Amino acid sequence: MLIPLYGFLRGDTIGLVILAQDTDTIREVGAKLQEAASVRVAPVSAVDVRYRGRLLDPERTVAESGLEALERVDVSPREAT
Amino acid sequence: MLKREEWLDLARKLDWNYSYVEAKDVFPETLSGTPWLPHSDWKAWDEPYRTSFAEYAHNQHAKELSVQSVREAVGRIEDFQALDPSWVNALKLHSATLPLAEFAAVIGNLRAARFGRDSAWRTTANFGALDELRHTQIPLLLMHDLVRWDPQFDWTHRFFHTNNWVAIAGRHLIDELLLGANPIEFAVATNFVFETGFTNLQFVGLSSLARGAGDRMFEKMVGSIQTDEARHSQIGPAVLKILVQKDPAYAQFLLDKWFWRTWLFFAVVTGFAMDYLTPLKHRTQSFKEFMEEWVLDQFQKTLLEYGLRKPWYWNQFLEALEVYHHMVYASAYTYRATVWFDFALPGPEERAWLREKYPRSWPQLDPVWERVTERWRKSGPGVEWYTHGATPVTFCDLCQLVLCGGTPERNTAQTLVREGKKYIFCSEPCRWIFEQEPARYASHKDLVKRILAGEAPANLIDLVTRYFSLTQGTWGKDVAGGAYAWLREPSGARAAP
Repeated sequence: MLIPLYGFLRGDTIGLVILAQDTDTIREVGAKLQEAASVRVAPVSAVDVRYRGRLLDPERTVAESGLEALERVDVSPREAT
Repeated sequence: MLKREEWLDLARKLDWNYSYVEAKDVFPETLSGTPWLPHSDWKAWDEPYRTSFAEYAHNQHAKELSVQSVREAVGRIEDFQALDPSWVNALKLHSATLPLAEFAAVIGNLRAARFGRDSAWRTTANFGALDELRHTQIPLLLMHDLVRWDPQFDWTHRFFHTNNWVAIAGRHLIDELLLGANPIEFAVATNFVFETGFTNLQFVGLSSLARGAGDRMFEKMVGSIQTDEARHSQIGPAVLKILVQKDPAYAQFLLDKWFWRTWLFFAVVTGFAMDYLTPLKHRTQSFKEFMEEWVLDQFQKTLLEYGLRKPWYWNQFLEALEVYHHMVYASAYTYRATVWFDFALPGPEERAWLREKYPRSWPQLDPVWERVTERWRKSGPGVEWYTHGATPVTFCDLCQLVLCGGTPERNTAQTLVREGKKYIFCSEPCRWIFEQEPARYASHKDLVKRILAGEAPANLIDLVTRYFSLTQGTWGKDVAGGAYAWLREPSGARAAP
């Protein structure tokens, strides 16, 4: 099932619509947003995806992460641990 | 013979008591506005111009002759062809957003000419309506001939009749500001906030920019329009003065609401022109400097004079002044085929100038332009798609503009769930405005929701051609097609400092 999300990539100037599937992993969501914004922001190898300030597990799916249509997610380059 | 001062008020300020009907029947609150006050409270209403109809006709005739003579001298196609291509695109942006918005202002003024609560107010609003009709006709006339040269000028008339995303945002603002507002809200929102606060002074700035760019026709047009604006905008302070006495909380609310709403559109139209589309050699100051010098000081003094506070989001506004139009320009550049004018790619010298003018925000924005520049280098001239986005962008459920609030580091988009529906806003003030009058805005679908509902196509090409009414000949491109001399130099050879 299609779950359109509002995606905000750190470094970008605009929010984009991510057309995610409920079976997509969070990693794939991050990759989709990076690809969509790649005209303005160079993609990086690893990103963090946050929802309401909570860091999402990249291996879990959109459905498992509790994301519903038209939620805001924030994507940023993975911070060094 | 009577002296002017002895007869003037018989012609412009003549009220009487009603004997067959109640004043509330003549001026119903839904049409005249809130608060509904007895006429004795409006009796002192006045404005400084105190023009008679004969004087109005005489003065306007002289202005028309003046515009006409400039048009005959420098208004030919070849005069426009001699202008810098970037500046021509500033013209296209202004030409599209200006005339039919002015026509909507005719309606707003005519409503005040009938339902304004004092006769002097109604007289001035009548002149205001005639002014705005003139402001509709002048750009329609001047730009019409240019369609033969460049079909993008067709959008001077076409813009507000389309579902282009900028037009949706424009109509959302204009419908409420000019068509739907009662005379009290119209006076505060349009005459005081928008005209006194922004456009009256903007026209002075634009006129000066046009002179620098060698565009005598545009200089004359906006200069001539400004003289009308200066007069009819005086309705605003005169209404506000009474409103503040009778209902200060409502006066403050209208100020807070309309300053933000009009600022966003103003920033896009004027910020683009001043900081990107005016050739660097003709720029005398940045958009931010212009705002600080011409708008902010004056506006803050006026607020103090009327006992009003600065809007509650003033600090957010000052932040936005640093960055908002840059966020939108960079975004729109990479979606330029969705609009009707072309964009200039800021080169090393322009980026150095922007860094100097915006030292706090530009370091976050420059990497975006570096990325776009690198892609142009890689693709070579003419390959527009390689520096163009393909994914749908997001829109604010209040202003209907793109979600470009905040900075590249922190976008200020805000979400809201109301009665089971989800909304998103570009900023806290947009969300606040929505929450004050949700019934007014809740049913309006932003473009993303239209796409999701199947009312607009999701595919970008279909969206641009079928929904936005653009064609390959009219959609926006890079003004030089990526063929900039500096792009041929090795990467980093002239990097911005």
